[in-house]
Amino acid sequence: MKNDGVAQSDSNFDQYGRCIPSSLTPPVHKESRRYFTITQPQVDYHEIYHRLNKVFNFSAQLSVSDFEARAEAILSQLRNDECNQNITSGVAVPFILPQANYVDIGEAFQSTYLDGVKQAFQQMYPTHSFDNFCKDSLQGKFSTTKGSRQNTLIQAMQKGVVVGYYFPCLLEYSVPAAIERIAALPEYCILAGGFDTSSAFIGSPSLLLREDGYPPLLWASGFSSDNANEGYHFEAYGYDLTFNRRMHLGQVAEYWASGLVVLG
Amino acid sequence: MLNQQSELNDSLLTPGELAKREGLRARKPYVANKLAKISAMEERGEISPIIRLEKSYLCNFQCTHCSAEYYMDRHLDKVLHVTDDRKKIDLEKIKDISQQADALGLARFVITGGEPLVMRDLDEVVAAIDPEKHYVIVDTNGWFLDLEKAKHLKSIGVEKIQLSLDSLVEEEHDNFRNKPGSYKKVMKAIDATIDAGLNLLLSTVLIKGQPKTQAFLDLCKFSTDKGVGLYVSYAKPTGSCTDHPEFVIDKEDADILRSLEKEYMVFTHMTPSYGSFKGCITVKGIITVTSTGEITPCPYIDFSIGNLYENSLKEILDRGMGNPWLGPHRPDCLIGEDPKFIKIHTEKTAGAKHLPLPWGQGFTDDDSLMD
Repeated sequence: MKNDGVAQSDSNFDQYGRCIPSSLTPPVHKESRRYFTITQPQVDYHEIYHRLNKVFNFSAQLSVSDFEARAEAILSQLRNDECNQNITSGVAVPFILPQANYVDIGEAFQSTYLDGVKQAFQQMYPTHSFDNFCKDSLQGKFSTTKGSRQNTLIQAMQKGVVVGYYFPCLLEYSVPAAIERIAALPEYCILAGGFDTSSAFIGSPSLLLREDGYPPLLWASGFSSDNANEGYHFEAYGYDLTFNRRMHLGQVAEYWASGLVVLG
Repeated sequence: MLNQQSELNDSLLTPGELAKREGLRARKPYVANKLAKISAMEERGEISPIIRLEKSYLCNFQCTHCSAEYYMDRHLDKVLHVTDDRKKIDLEKIKDISQQADALGLARFVITGGEPLVMRDLDEVVAAIDPEKHYVIVDTNGWFLDLEKAKHLKSIGVEKIQLSLDSLVEEEHDNFRNKPGSYKKVMKAIDATIDAGLNLLLSTVLIKGQPKTQAFLDLCKFSTDKGVGLYVSYAKPTGSCTDHPEFVIDKEDADILRSLEKEYMVFTHMTPSYGSFKGCITVKGIITVTSTGEITPCPYIDFSIGNLYENSLKEILDRGMGNPWLGPHRPDCLIGEDPKFIKIHTEKTAGAKHLPLPWGQGFTDDDSLMD
């Protein structure tokens, strides 16, 4: 770990893996008291692989060992990057996305990815529930957020199975601040959207389950609708996991966070 | 307290709720129209808090967990040996508050206290609020609520009664309320409210460990079987409960309660309802007007965000929403669960003779989550 206490000026992440805000125009909390935090889920590549394969059926293209090797390579690459190594001190979960070329990312997200989250969550927690409060169709609703680099991820999915790591590290950022922050991060950092965040939850359903405190709400900021003031997000509710839409109005909240993904 | 998120989208209502909505539309179209606009207001980032009005703190009970005890004359007289010479709100001021609220699209008033049914001017207070412009709720311990009184309240424009019920075990309820006979009275009040055609909400205070008890489940079942919502308020470390920190719930209690919401008609102020997902409702969903015209962001926070004799309601609401503790969305109860805020609140209110602390002494322009 690079920092002890206060982050050094050349690091993009603090000692807890939070992305340090750097002269951003939109609202963001410069510091965090770390009240809304995520407990690192256990990373068992074998288990994560099988949960994801149940939904995406990629076993002919990717083995468990390949998944682990590619995912670990991402962490190694980051640990060797002086300015960004601290991101690995925070919460991180690996994920896999299938090879796919979607005409409509909103429709695909709703029919495949949210259903996948529900399946994985309820399989792990039969007495809890995954509740999708967005009852309206998402068909034609989403595009990739300008400046998010989500197109890199979409293009990678068109070429083959994607392996990545999800870092919920843009803690206490407004959605516009999260988007703006991406521009100053290395090209390999992508603002998490719908597919990657869902895959992180499918692989690690316990990501937002905390019994001793409250985890943050996670925006899928890499996906946008026509309304710049609204966003879609995953959120814990007691022992349950929820997906919902709400107006963020460009504001910041201690409770709100976005994620970064790095592909490998 | 009442179902904070009620009376919103028609499409999200049950047939029974829709029938009540239609009834309100027929009787009070202006109020119904305002209520129907709340969702659209929230989409625009506007707020429509319920206004709790504490004109008087006179009460015939002395409950173990009362959040208003430190505001009461009996506490000031007998414990602190002080008198309160601050300017008090009167009927004219209530009319003014009602008009300001109406202009902002706010639609709901709760008359609380104290015990509203011991107020000699209750009818005048209801009239000053103007039940043709606002949905009026009375929050009572039920002691004086017989059928005749319930019918009278209905006749003067009150729409809903909120009754306090802490246990289905008579002795437990009476002990918690420090009032023998109160259980029997509240049970009669439930029937009187329903028979008078008033809407009813039961409210109870939740203390640590209680959600795991059979007694609490029985209370949830009783309420659900009656077809009446049970509003659960966490015990907060304020008021009389300052002396009972052991009452304050933990995350497990809150999570168990969230699970019970699926099975029973039970909810807290954070419970999503009818498409509204506010989380903690400070300012966004509720404010309290104290007897001295101070506005607090929640019934249990003894810090004012402004005084209606000094600032307009809009200015005060804007100030509240701009405060880092109060405005932003959060899932937990600020005064019931956030240890840092609880500590700040406890330290600042310790030794205070008059509550709430005015703006600048509790909440300030310089507030920060990081201090």
